[in-house]
Amino acid sequence: MSLQVFRHWIPTVKDAFDRTLMVAKFFCSLHVTNTFLCTCALAMGPSMLPTLNLTGSLVLVERLSIRFGKMASGDVVLIRSPEEPRKVVIKRIVGVEGDAVGNEEATAVVPKGHIWIEGDNKHNSRDSRQFGPVPYGLLEGRVFWVMWPPEDFGSVGRKVENISLESAGCQKT
Amino acid sequence: MSLQVFRHWIPTVKDAFDRTLMVAKFFCGLHVTNTFLCTCALAMGPSMLPTLNLTGSLVLVERLSIRFGKMASGEVVLIRSPEEPRKVVIKRIVGVEGDAVGNEEATAVVPKGHIWIEGDNKHNSRDSRQFGPVPYGLLEGRVFWVMWPPEDFGSVGRKVENNSLESSAGCQKT
Repeated sequence: MSLQVFRHWIPTVKDAFDRTLMVAKFFCSLHVTNTFLCTCALAMGPSMLPTLNLTGSLVLVERLSIRFGKMASGDVVLIRSPEEPRKVVIKRIVGVEGDAVGNEEATAVVPKGHIWIEGDNKHNSRDSRQFGPVPYGLLEGRVFWVMWPPEDFGSVGRKVENISLESAGCQKT
Repeated sequence: MSLQVFRHWIPTVKDAFDRTLMVAKFFCGLHVTNTFLCTCALAMGPSMLPTLNLTGSLVLVERLSIRFGKMASGEVVLIRSPEEPRKVVIKRIVGVEGDAVGNEEATAVVPKGHIWIEGDNKHNSRDSRQFGPVPYGLLEGRVFWVMWPPEDFGSVGRKVENNSLESSAGCQKT
């Protein structure tokens, strides 16, 4: 009697299995796309003002430049934090291996296989000025487009954009 | 006339497309397994003697311990080289953040988010003694099993195995 009950369920189970497999295959392809081509990221925090928003910017990150070694000074990158390995941060590359970085007080040469990163908001950013050069192997991707908020929609270039005083609501003195 | 020729090829093209899609789906699944579960690696070089072979050891690498933060001192790990970002090396974790590493001449404390790695073959290994502590984010996997050569087949533990002088190739006991 119990075998008859099971036979009743076979088409449903098979259907459920097929649909689950289809969803799994979709997620496999999505994962491969995210890992090798392009992915999204939500950026929050003050360290990349004015390029990125304080309360959250949705950015597009491409993964090809890293693999082909086409990262250069000025690129805004997604990088795994050398202090908290579970955290991924967004900063700008200010120097690559061999470059001399620093200001009038202190200069340093970036060692082989490393990069020097800094946030665009120099007053509120924890970056290579605190934790030193980071290995190139920590790079995760290059930020090339801002999707949200709409006023920042557009490409992310190699120069820091300067907001004029009038547009930022400051009185010209 | 040309349209008739194309219609003749449609089943073949469809068949080729389906088979290609099947191969692509297989490689997607293989890639996900390699990235999140377990992968193989071929280890070459003298820096991990006697644990790993000089001329090549095939090892199994698991990727779960890193994500769950279960890496501790003594583990043999696959790590991306801080000097050459395209190269992945195998070393042993000798100290984690907060540990004091070093010998009688110099000691150092491993900073937050970093690990101190050294090769088992202290005389011929380029590791943290040369390039300092490396960020935890460079870890790629944990080596837990040696598949080849057959004489090394077995698990890789947290202790360096000591080869007795008799079993080492050609050493005379003095």
